[in-house]
Amino acid sequence: MVYVDEIDIDQEGIAEMMLDENAIAQVARPGTSLKLPGTSQGGGPSPAVRPVTQSGRPVTGFVRPSTQSGRPGTMEQAIRTPRTAHTARPITSASGRYVRLGTASMLTNPEGPFINLSRLNLAKYAQKPKLAKALFEYIFHHENDVKNALDLAALATEHAQYKDWWWKVQIGKCYYRLGLYREAEKQFKSALKQQDMVDTVLYLAKVYFRLDQPLTALHLFKQGLDKFPGEVTLLCGIARIYEEMNNISLAAEYYREVLKQDNTHVEAIACIGSNHFYSDQPEIALRFYRRLLQMGVYNCQLFNNLGLCCFFAQQYDMTLTSLERALSLAENEEEAADVWYNLGHVAVGIGDLNLAYQCFKLTLANNNDHAEAYNNLAVLEIRRGHVEQARALLQTASSLAPHMYEPHFNFAALSDQVGDLQRSYIAAQKSKEAFPGHVDTQQLIKQLKQHFAML
Amino acid sequence: MAAASSSSSSSSESNEANSKWLDAHYDPMHCPSVCLSPPQLVVGDLGMAGHTMRLKVYRGTGLASESTLLDLPSAVVTFLMDQNEPRTPAVAVTSGPFVYVYKNLRPYFKFTLPPLDANPLELDVWEQAKEVSRWGGGTLGQRRLCHYPTIPFSVSPTPRFLAQDVPEMENFVNLHKGQPIKRQTVITCMSTLKKNMADEDAVSCLVIGTESADVLILDPEAFTILAKMTLPSVPAFLDVMGQFDVEYRVTVACRDGSIYILRRESKRPKYCIELSAQPVGLVRVHKNIVVGCSDETLQGYTQKGKKLWTVYLPAPLMTMSLLDQKSRGFQAVMVGLANQEVHMYRDKNLVDIIRTQDVVTSICFGRYGREDNTLIMTTKGGGLIIKILKRTAVFEEKDTSLGPPVAQSIRLSVPKKTRLYVDQTLRERENAVAMHRVFQMDLYRLRLMAARAYVKALESSLVPVTSTLQEPLKMNAVVQGIGPTFKLTLHIQNTSAGRPSINLLVSFLYDQSLYAMKRAFFKTPMLVPGLNYPIETFVECLSDKGISDVIKVFVLREGQSMPLLTAHINMPVSEGLVAA
Repeated sequence: MVYVDEIDIDQEGIAEMMLDENAIAQVARPGTSLKLPGTSQGGGPSPAVRPVTQSGRPVTGFVRPSTQSGRPGTMEQAIRTPRTAHTARPITSASGRYVRLGTASMLTNPEGPFINLSRLNLAKYAQKPKLAKALFEYIFHHENDVKNALDLAALATEHAQYKDWWWKVQIGKCYYRLGLYREAEKQFKSALKQQDMVDTVLYLAKVYFRLDQPLTALHLFKQGLDKFPGEVTLLCGIARIYEEMNNISLAAEYYREVLKQDNTHVEAIACIGSNHFYSDQPEIALRFYRRLLQMGVYNCQLFNNLGLCCFFAQQYDMTLTSLERALSLAENEEEAADVWYNLGHVAVGIGDLNLAYQCFKLTLANNNDHAEAYNNLAVLEIRRGHVEQARALLQTASSLAPHMYEPHFNFAALSDQVGDLQRSYIAAQKSKEAFPGHVDTQQLIKQLKQHFAML
Repeated sequence: MAAASSSSSSSSESNEANSKWLDAHYDPMHCPSVCLSPPQLVVGDLGMAGHTMRLKVYRGTGLASESTLLDLPSAVVTFLMDQNEPRTPAVAVTSGPFVYVYKNLRPYFKFTLPPLDANPLELDVWEQAKEVSRWGGGTLGQRRLCHYPTIPFSVSPTPRFLAQDVPEMENFVNLHKGQPIKRQTVITCMSTLKKNMADEDAVSCLVIGTESADVLILDPEAFTILAKMTLPSVPAFLDVMGQFDVEYRVTVACRDGSIYILRRESKRPKYCIELSAQPVGLVRVHKNIVVGCSDETLQGYTQKGKKLWTVYLPAPLMTMSLLDQKSRGFQAVMVGLANQEVHMYRDKNLVDIIRTQDVVTSICFGRYGREDNTLIMTTKGGGLIIKILKRTAVFEEKDTSLGPPVAQSIRLSVPKKTRLYVDQTLRERENAVAMHRVFQMDLYRLRLMAARAYVKALESSLVPVTSTLQEPLKMNAVVQGIGPTFKLTLHIQNTSAGRPSINLLVSFLYDQSLYAMKRAFFKTPMLVPGLNYPIETFVECLSDKGISDVIKVFVLREGQSMPLLTAHINMPVSEGLVAA
């Protein structure tokens, strides 16, 4: 039997994201919002070292529903299919994945619905607590009929004289699904008053997360930790929030706490590993990934990471073997594209630019939208003297991934060399927007401004 | 921001707004003063053409008291004499062989250096002069004394006797022959030394350097000589650190162009630094000695006389003193130059420049009134300048003059190499050959693999970028939408330098049971090099099973079946069925 982990499955739909009416302030104060990731500096590495996602956060070591692309800035970004996700965003969280779960189960039951909801007398079943709970779960998870589920839960909690915390949590879940976050918050809080439960804390934190109140969520998690010391899910929740808020050092600290409690926590190991990798300690990252391997994780991504760590930690004998294995383990073309991309990096590292060129081309053959590969290919083309092609590639890269500063900067530098100062300036401005601290961009802009002043 | 603003301030010191100093007081027509002393009052001495020498005490910007001095003062210090409350410091002024001590603005005590033994020859001559007849005695004495010009004369009448004309000598001898013969030395410099506690308000001894090449330490209460040390030359500048009862160190710059370092219990100097030129000033910063020399250099030495650095100054040095900003623990050397500037050096780095209205002849930094960081300068023309250091002022470590850039001294936060890394390098060192072989073999295999895949991709034109000379093209596709209808945008660009592409076709290959396309075949317009041509079409997903497929896009040349370009588009899962 499959039981849905309701806590982790969560993805904001386009409607919630673009038409957000729960935000308290349009322009939140620095460090209090998840929407302005650049404002809180937690001493993480700069985008020059660690790549960032569309919303300007450093990539994490573990793909979660919310890490796939962050919050898009524009409608166009929102409806575009992001990398590593196989679908665009759902319109609302009421549709999307939940529907697919429902349809997937329908496939196994071709002759029709098991229970016909419209004919049920919910009031009758609400009188029988044990049956009502099972029925609720069926309606909620299997049928994905939140309204009916809410009706049943409301009747049942009334029958229980508002003394059963379980029903309150279920009502809260229903409200959450319906997007009534404040109501959901009330229900969860009331349930917490009756009974301290880790689950309830996590649900409530989800509500705050959706309301863009990360600090309240943090506070809640820390209160939860007082009652359930060392609870892994709570610690992990704190770490995730810090990570989302760009406070990488604190996030790593909490992931370490997680590992103290549960030393097989894949997410924590992966996140700490990637953090070490990007802070110039690949040999330690290698340890963490090896640990994952020992634990039985055996997939393309892990071997890919192992290969890269080996390469940067100068363990050359293991590098290519790992990457080759990663390539053979790739389940789809996108994974293969990523491995080819990294092979291209290794080739650049050993100075074999011909091989690098082939690798990046193969990346594009496997994944047409690989912006990083377009950028790197463009740099190789510049070295070969093919300026026009390089420009076209850079333009593609910057249109595919406007959040990356590299294509913008490369385009600006290239245009500057060719003498197209106007385009160079525009691209440099975009690069500055993506990475305000980039010194080369600043210098280029300064130089261009001097040029303009001279003209 | 902070760095930017401070760097601009150093480049334009004259700019009042950016200066670190506030102008508190400037009195251009004041008096030519000789010495200054800090804590709560300024003591200015005036010696105009050898008369009307005065000791002046200031409070705020006004004169608080004035007392006449008998002779030219050579040094002024303030010190605490006793433990009595309230702790008012005394002022010691040296002139000639005397130390005048003032307390509560009144003369308090006069200390005279003990007389030296007179030259026996001179003594002898005068003895004779007393006895011998008046004609012979004078000439004899004159002749004999003139034979020994190297003899140090006493303060007694002899030098004046030698300056007389012969006829007057007689009278002179007669006049003075009854007086006792004594030899008196002169004080050249003075400093203070804490007696037994290092506190700010501890009792201090006076340290005196004399013309007879001695250094004396006086007891503050009884004014007896506690210690006496002899130097090879006449001291010019003194610097003292430590406590008398514990351990102390006297650094003396002498007129023979050497610096001698004396320690407790040593009668003779322990270290000697031979300078390249005559010393003009001596300051101790922390444990290092900074000497200003007459060859326009500032030199740093360690306590043991090892040379650390030399700074070449833009103008001759007039005076120097220590800047001790206690609140920030900052110490620097202030140097008054002949080009009307005061430079501040922290070690060898120039940290600030003050331009003054006149050449600064003496300088002093410390607490004045209620202000902790006050700079008081007197000028050659007799002006008095008082400046206050802004409380927000921070002296940058960097050098405002030429030298290594600041970036050189910024530490990068490079993570430490871990133990693990060291272990791995060990492994690397031991198995270098094997590792290299494995890597090279893997590399050959990788090259083969990549070349095979690349050829395969080229043959089936899988790559979305062609680099053939005839048709350099680039294509990428973007899918937008949630479903069931998606918008598919192809971006086609001609990347050749100057050849337009004509007669190109775009076609799609897809599973017709899953997708329906509004238009599955395009004839592209003429592609001008460098421009991006978006081609849009709509794809409808027919399935409601939540599955997706790949749509292939081909760019073809008219009349050829082999595609120039191929792109595989991974279609997203249609989400829109329920919403629709």
